[in-house]
Amino acid sequence: MPLHGEFKQPGGKLVVVDLELRDGYLAEVHVSGDFFLEPPEALDDIVAALTGAPVDASEDDLATRIDEALAPDAMLIGFDARGVGKAVRRAVTDGSPRERL
Amino acid sequence: MSTDTDRFARFRPRWNEFDWQLIRTGAQAPELHMALDEVLTYEVGSGHRKPTLRIWEWASNAVILGRFQSVRNEVDPDGAARHDIAVMRRITGGGAMFIEPQNAITYSIYAPDSLVRGLSFIDSYAFMDEWVIQGLRSLGVEAEYVPINDISSTAGKIGGAAQTRRGGAVLHHVTMAYDMDPAKMLEVLRIGREKLSDKGSVSANKRVAPLRQQTQLPRQVVVDRLVETFADLRGLTGGELTTAELTRAEALAKEKFLSDEWRYLLP
Repeated sequence: MPLHGEFKQPGGKLVVVDLELRDGYLAEVHVSGDFFLEPPEALDDIVAALTGAPVDASEDDLATRIDEALAPDAMLIGFDARGVGKAVRRAVTDGSPRERL
Repeated sequence: MSTDTDRFARFRPRWNEFDWQLIRTGAQAPELHMALDEVLTYEVGSGHRKPTLRIWEWASNAVILGRFQSVRNEVDPDGAARHDIAVMRRITGGGAMFIEPQNAITYSIYAPDSLVRGLSFIDSYAFMDEWVIQGLRSLGVEAEYVPINDISSTAGKIGGAAQTRRGGAVLHHVTMAYDMDPAKMLEVLRIGREKLSDKGSVSANKRVAPLRQQTQLPRQVVVDRLVETFADLRGLTGGELTTAELTRAEALAKEKFLSDEWRYLLP
């Protein structure tokens, strides 16, 4: 069952993470939201950085993985790597499948 | 001018270095609008087309998702089907827009990226829309820019902008609410709790203050005033799409923007 987590930085944009856990690692990771990202292909680097991360990776660990995977010219606007990490932690710790207002 | 806008003083004269062209055609399909934005951005970036303001007229209902949004997170498929609303994805980031042709005011600006050089991504949003804030104020709307990309007023949010930079050009487009049917919008768009966490309101429709309600003017009058404001401040020459641009955009609309691969890029 996919897990779902969201995080919105105050004054910023929403980051949504959907993922599955496989043998203690993150798999089938999807990152979406109303953020801005240049170039758009940088989203693939963020997803790749999260895929295979251990389930107990902290927000910091996840942010570091993302920062290291992004090309130097990537621009995250309205969100940052730590916010993505927070959304992942929320998915992993209390990510009920897709809960809506 | 408030001090907030004065930080753009040294950048503002750049607008007048260009011979701005206006494109204002009849109603076009949502997928053609998506495609025209991509085609015209590259045309301006390559120098084949002069910097351009394009006023959109919508031919049909649509939800336009931001480049990075997930369809199932944003759209209620039953609501969309019930109200005959197509789901489209644009090339810029940002949030979903709910479009009914007579309720939306939409425009795009295509400019060489030298226009925004030296400005942060965040500042360039407000910079690209200074003229619109001025146009709205001339209609009596207390409009202001709320970073990152909201056009707002004391009565509520009016609209939102999105930008991308491609091929030497900046694309900046905006949709504003002229009118709205909040009940219908809430049947079609999913507005989550987290998204509203810093908005101080859990009611999506209360956050929006359509221009009709604020001006009591016909939509066309509002659009005309905005175009006049741009023309007064920046200069504007009437132009049109070339046959080549339209042909390319029609092909791209069909091959890319109507394809499930693109529309469901993030399912």
